[in-house]
Amino acid sequence: MFDLSVIFDIGVVALRIILPVYALIIVYQCYAAMRRHRRGEKPLVTLYNPTTGLKLPVLFWENSIGRSKSSDVVVDDPAVSRNHCVLLRRKDGWFVTDTGSKSGTFVNGKRIHGRTQVLIDDVITVGNSEFEFKRGAEYDEQLKSSWFFSKVSNKPAIKSWKLMLLVTVFHFFMCVEAMFWNDATNQYAPLVLFGALAAVEWGFFFVSTVVLKRINFELEALALFLTGIGVMLLIRQNEKSAYTQLIAAAIGMVLFCVIIKIIEDPDKVNKLRIPMMIVAVLLLLSSIVLGKITYGAANWIVIGPVSIQPSELVKIIYIFIGASALDKLQTNKNLFEFIIFSAVCVGLLALMGDFGTALIFFMTFLIIAFMRSGDFKTIILAVAAAVFGVTFILQFKPYIADRFKVWGHAWQYAQAEGYQQTHVLTFLASGGLFGVGIGNGFLKQVGASESDLVFGIVAEEMGVIVAITIAIAVGALVIYARAITTRSRSTFYSISACCAAGLLVVQLSLNIFGATDILPLTGVTFPFISAGGSSIMACWGLIAFIKAADERTYAVKR
Amino acid sequence: MKRVLRRSTLIFIFTLAFIGGMGYLTFQLIMNADDWVDQPYNAHISGSGGLAQAGAIYDRNGEVLAQTVDGERVYNENASVRKSLLHVVGDNSLNISTAAQSMYRSQLSGYNLFWGLNMPQSLRSSNDLKLTVDAKACAAAYDVLSSYDKKGACVIYNYKTGEIICSVSTKGYDPQAPPEITEENESEYEGVYLDNVLSSSYTPGSIFKIVTAAAAIENIPDIYDRTWDCAGSEEIGGSDITCVEPHGTINFKEAMAHSCNIVFAELAVELGADVMNETAEKIGINMSFEVDGVKTAKGHYDVSKANTNQLAWSGVGQYNDEVNPMQMAIICGAIANGGKATNPTLVEDGAASILSAIGINKSGNGREMFSKDTAAQLDEIMRYTITDYYGDDLFGGLTVCAKTGTGEVGDDKEPNGWMVGYSKDEDCPLAFACVVEDSGFGFTYAGPVVQAAMIQAAKSLGASAVTG
Repeated sequence: MFDLSVIFDIGVVALRIILPVYALIIVYQCYAAMRRHRRGEKPLVTLYNPTTGLKLPVLFWENSIGRSKSSDVVVDDPAVSRNHCVLLRRKDGWFVTDTGSKSGTFVNGKRIHGRTQVLIDDVITVGNSEFEFKRGAEYDEQLKSSWFFSKVSNKPAIKSWKLMLLVTVFHFFMCVEAMFWNDATNQYAPLVLFGALAAVEWGFFFVSTVVLKRINFELEALALFLTGIGVMLLIRQNEKSAYTQLIAAAIGMVLFCVIIKIIEDPDKVNKLRIPMMIVAVLLLLSSIVLGKITYGAANWIVIGPVSIQPSELVKIIYIFIGASALDKLQTNKNLFEFIIFSAVCVGLLALMGDFGTALIFFMTFLIIAFMRSGDFKTIILAVAAAVFGVTFILQFKPYIADRFKVWGHAWQYAQAEGYQQTHVLTFLASGGLFGVGIGNGFLKQVGASESDLVFGIVAEEMGVIVAITIAIAVGALVIYARAITTRSRSTFYSISACCAAGLLVVQLSLNIFGATDILPLTGVTFPFISAGGSSIMACWGLIAFIKAADERTYAVKR
Repeated sequence: MKRVLRRSTLIFIFTLAFIGGMGYLTFQLIMNADDWVDQPYNAHISGSGGLAQAGAIYDRNGEVLAQTVDGERVYNENASVRKSLLHVVGDNSLNISTAAQSMYRSQLSGYNLFWGLNMPQSLRSSNDLKLTVDAKACAAAYDVLSSYDKKGACVIYNYKTGEIICSVSTKGYDPQAPPEITEENESEYEGVYLDNVLSSSYTPGSIFKIVTAAAAIENIPDIYDRTWDCAGSEEIGGSDITCVEPHGTINFKEAMAHSCNIVFAELAVELGADVMNETAEKIGINMSFEVDGVKTAKGHYDVSKANTNQLAWSGVGQYNDEVNPMQMAIICGAIANGGKATNPTLVEDGAASILSAIGINKSGNGREMFSKDTAAQLDEIMRYTITDYYGDDLFGGLTVCAKTGTGEVGDDKEPNGWMVGYSKDEDCPLAFACVVEDSGFGFTYAGPVVQAAMIQAAKSLGASAVTG
């Protein structure tokens, strides 16, 4: 006689093996779609020098013109200043701004003051060089594209709705796994949650493509994919928080759209800087004053039934402020204001005892400071100051050092401070490549596992392959953000996108390596996956910067 | 824009660090997954169904020591075998952390990094484990050892291959019917989860004279020309050192055979604290040895703060001296091996046995405890101890070298009875150590245990001395 339960078991195992492969396909498809060529590598406009016959391509939305080798348009003319002027494109055309050059910038023979519009066939004069302002099509050489983007001739990217379908079916498979968990109780709960999740996903897709008429959806699809995994994992850990997470994610999606709208005009962003700074400091202060101490950090404030972590939302503002201070390209090298603001933020976070977030802010500060100034001295100085500060704090509060004593020695403290890390490692290894199945893990019984140790939960229940795949999916946002840097409508977008991606990678590293005892456990969240309303909102808010850096986001609607 | 692009390389560095970290984590996972999984709190393999999917455990002759039948863990049908191997095989509770069922739980359950522990029971495959022990030799040792109803340990291992043939620890219980340990019977089962062979250390008494003798052989050139007068008691460093009986005028070899305390106490004082410490250090008294990843309890010898009387007592294995049974077997094995220790193992390793069959000894890379010359001289005086004092017919024709000991522990307890040594037979290269706590003369208590176990072990190895 044949045992039917064996067939069922084979089915269950087959599903577990399919999921990692499927996850790889989805992440691959998302990035393949991002790599798709948007426009031919033709310059936006061409500068034609009638004297020498030289044609200079203008590639970006904002271009520095000068003698300096690092200028976007290099003019080899001793009368031209190193950073002479900026040529930039805005909604209503092209403009040129002098950036404090010695000899001045002229349009059609007239010296310009402030931002001046240039039209096709106008003549721009810098130093002794004259340039006719021509269309991009006049440039006839082939331009090289970033390696990240695939060749123009390749077949078109996967259709957004197909990608969405892939993501939804993946979540459905997770739902099926969760239904047939070992416990066998409450069998249909995952189905209800899946329904709600699918509604949110397709609702967002509808708004994005039909209402907002956006052409591309890869970045959102990737974020939805990750968000859905986090939500579906929670069903067998804490059903209520699965719904909280979903609602927070939906709010995060709204935030995503709102932020893109707010930063639509790069020239107006600067005006919001001071109010945003005040909001950020107030938010952080509020959590010190009203904060509830959880796991040693006073980073929660409770308003009625809702508890939020202001430091998560401040991350968005921080990047906004960090990137917005550039009034004119490369002219404002003054980091003073930003350094003060950063010191205040990091200081307030340290006061709260939230060292994980403080560290994220500090690393982000390094990225922003370097991208704005290009100055290694600033970075070294900042690191030195930080080391000094930390030593100073440890001198007066030696108990803080105790929190890091288990670092690298988790097994010696397996029943005490190393409890969480050792459990993560044990259950991570227990899952094997394909996991024990959603709901069948034991790591979920460890305190704070749904947020701080979620990497272990994913590895245990869905396998190491899925865990590494989603980690790389988040990490690869850096590569995407960097590739679209030169396609952005303004340096504000470039810098904010790179910094947002950098912040996510720093946070990701602290989460994964903290939980696995490679770094000290600081209790930060895994982007998009960890349970935590404020955290998921912040993640959606942060990728708004990456989305905004894509020139098509604000371009011609479909 | 070009500048921004160039500067954004910095976040690439962060990303590279992240990728490096992921690589390191993966490497760690591949290297350590077994250890990570083998944790008492890992509910995937412990708890109710912990051993329900585990494979069988066999002894060296293929006798089943433990297996799972219809989801139940069943141990060997012979009660003596079951009880004797409790600490080697383990029981369902997994309380004995050094036992094979605890140590190799994940392997027995069929764990590997590829599949993890995710297989439904119907599809799960398990692995069997073959141990080096001989069930009959263990049972024989246990029967004698348990008859004293005292704590004790007996270990026999092959000093050429490292295979442990017999490892018995008392007190024990029947793994098939583990006792319910309550507050009332707690004291009766005190330390029952400890494998005394690996995890306990005891006052050695006269067996420590092997160490003192080694120091004397290496540092006193005219040692064999000397004689001593033993009146049964002598004042050294302000207090008396005593012997069981007056030995009269004796030489070095006789002093060892008759276990004269006064001679070895005087030698320890003459050699001095530094030489004694140095010799003990070289022999590895203060270190632990590894048996398949389990560290043995450390012995103890340190006379750097001892006064003359204490130094004298330390030379005969008193003062605060301590040794571990496995350690003593390794030391005796080293003497038999010409000075070089062989690392013991409990798990039969297919590759190792093939290698040793063609003459390559994988486990032969132990530490050098004695010089070849010292080992030969110790061998001679330990052999003399048996032929001259105890008689050579004790071990069924095996050529045995040994030393007994009676380690006084003070308080109201009787001494630790010890016997350590080895057989020199080419086809039966076994080193042994046996201790019975709270007993009496080593030869009276440990002797019969060793005798029973050695003869049975020799039979299992097919030694010509016992079969012919």
